[in-house]
Amino acid sequence: MANINIIDVVAVLMMITSFAVFGLRQYRHSIQAYALQTLLLVIIFLALYFKYGTHELLIWAGTAFVIKVLFVPLYLMSLVKKLGLVVEDEPVGGFFISPVVALSFSLAVAMMLYKVFIHFSLFQDVLPLYAASFIFMMGIFGFILRNSFLKQILSYCLFENGIHLSLALMAYSSHELVEIGILTDAIFAVLIMSVLAKRFYAAYGSLDTSKAVNLRG
Amino acid sequence: MDILVLILTVPFVFGVIMFCMPLHFKLLQSLHIVLSVAVSILLLSAVGKVVNGEELSIFHNYIFLDSLGAIFLSLIAITGLLVNVYATTYMKWELEDGHIDIKEVKNYFALSFIFTWTMSLSVVCNNIAFMWAAIEATTLASVFLVAVKKDKKSTESGYKYIVLCSIGLAFALYATILLFSAANGKIDGEAMLYTNLLANAANLDSVALKLVFIFALIGFGTKAGLAPTHTWLPDVHAEGPAPTSALLSGILLKCAMLGLIRYYAIVANGVGFDFVQTVMVVSGTLTLFISAFFLIRQHNVKRMFAYHSVAHMGVIAFGLGVGGAIGLFAALFHCAAHSFTKALAFCSTGNIARIYGTKDMTKMGGMIRIAPLTAVLFGIAICSLVGVPGFAIFVSEFLIFKAAAIGEQYLLMGIFAVALAIIFIADFSHFFLASFGKVEGEVVHNSEMKFSENFPLIALAILIVAFGIWQFDSFTFLLDESVKSIMKK
Repeated sequence: MANINIIDVVAVLMMITSFAVFGLRQYRHSIQAYALQTLLLVIIFLALYFKYGTHELLIWAGTAFVIKVLFVPLYLMSLVKKLGLVVEDEPVGGFFISPVVALSFSLAVAMMLYKVFIHFSLFQDVLPLYAASFIFMMGIFGFILRNSFLKQILSYCLFENGIHLSLALMAYSSHELVEIGILTDAIFAVLIMSVLAKRFYAAYGSLDTSKAVNLRG
Repeated sequence: MDILVLILTVPFVFGVIMFCMPLHFKLLQSLHIVLSVAVSILLLSAVGKVVNGEELSIFHNYIFLDSLGAIFLSLIAITGLLVNVYATTYMKWELEDGHIDIKEVKNYFALSFIFTWTMSLSVVCNNIAFMWAAIEATTLASVFLVAVKKDKKSTESGYKYIVLCSIGLAFALYATILLFSAANGKIDGEAMLYTNLLANAANLDSVALKLVFIFALIGFGTKAGLAPTHTWLPDVHAEGPAPTSALLSGILLKCAMLGLIRYYAIVANGVGFDFVQTVMVVSGTLTLFISAFFLIRQHNVKRMFAYHSVAHMGVIAFGLGVGGAIGLFAALFHCAAHSFTKALAFCSTGNIARIYGTKDMTKMGGMIRIAPLTAVLFGIAICSLVGVPGFAIFVSEFLIFKAAAIGEQYLLMGIFAVALAIIFIADFSHFFLASFGKVEGEVVHNSEMKFSENFPLIALAILIVAFGIWQFDSFTFLLDESVKSIMKK
């Protein structure tokens, strides 16, 4: 019972941090919020490990800690420092409207999805399942609404955290290779997007992707 | 060593070898051709084993090669080889014209092996999470094949490609996790394996399966170029080098389609074919008409062919939607027919861009006099793309009509006919614009390419005609077996 409460509390904190990753204007703060969120995800992995004793979750916690709590945030911090960036570019709809839209829609979509998930989830607690869908959707809206390329990379990381939380809750007994395969892809995706972000900055003088209008769609 | 282990290692090792080579074009060119031939022989020998009835499986059945995978592996082997050989010619031109430097050429050749490796991996994965990871890896491996240059347009196309495909594939990953969790504990054996999921599909929760299919359609459909999430495709295909466009359109889109077909099979056997067919008909129709609308407005030859890729993904989706054994057969046949056709189409744009120095068809004209062979090859690609009898794509489009007629789906026949008519008119008007009449713009290279340079294109053209006229028993066997495996109910 105590474990379930911890998971509930941590899941809510993860939702709050996902809003922070999305909404904070300073890149450094946003990256720190992402690192904190991933640490919370690791805590959920560990809590589930102590609850169910599934060995795979311990391996997930270790790899997620090294890759997503340490490596990815440090790498993104160095990118921000190298490019001399401080505050993100104006998002779609402005700094105020954009988080409101993302929050409202993410809450609404999560409300629909968790009701389906709970039918076949291994973990039968509403709040963490709700949080998993919410974090995923915040990531998707981050891509759609934020113009900064770096914020879009963080949005990728965000929905990847949402998917990992879903995986831990709904299918924690899956093979550890599955988790490692997904994480490896995530690292390469972040690295390649970062290289493109550097090129983008060199070509356009900013990370504002709304300036990318040379191609016609 | 097991053939599947070789498939999973050799192309990757060749990619690393290419990265380590000195910056000498002749050496890189020769090595690229030799290693590409070696990879293709390897892939085709694996396909040959499947045709001979062998069951290939390693790592506790996590990696396998079934008839469905063998169809797509043969496309990687054949189309991939011919495009890679053409790439050496295309890169030589780019190098001579100063559009690219030798280091970028080396990286291109090396990355094309890594790309082949990821695509091969995606078709031999039995584990659905590995399959997702491999399909995502195909995006990551091909980003710098698209964004070869560092200018604004190239960077923008790379950005759009990775961002949109990554968002799309996130939905596919969600579908993967949902499917696994819905199956975990409810089916016999490992719930991550496609073969187990397919065999036990009837035991799965129908609500979960429907949601899984919608997520998979958004995810793999984005990568495959199905509307409305196709928007990355015209920019990326139009901006990348001609051989990259040929690889992306000719093979990569099909790998994503294979991912969708595997989900189609599981969900169809779980909740019945009506649901998946209805969803695919809607998706196919939407894709066909959106692409037909944009196709008419295009004057950029590569952009036109890019919208064609969208249109033909719509045809495949439509075939899956019409359903039945013939509809599925047609959809799978179309994957191969489109692969050869689109590879030829995009490679011929490489020749055309060299002749006119532009991709704008309104500034072309008179190609039949300047470069008759290129004009004929271009014409063959167009004839096949619009479904002229005697060319490969006609076979699959005719079979889709036949499947619809047998199923008495006359409305679908009408919709399909209207969409194809629009594409037909758009294509031939563009073809005549470029090939006949007087030259409207500048001619940069006023002669036909050498035979050795055109050889891969000629081979593709022969394949298109051959598949339009003959029936290859081994290929038909793979198609029949695949249809049986999907329609196991």
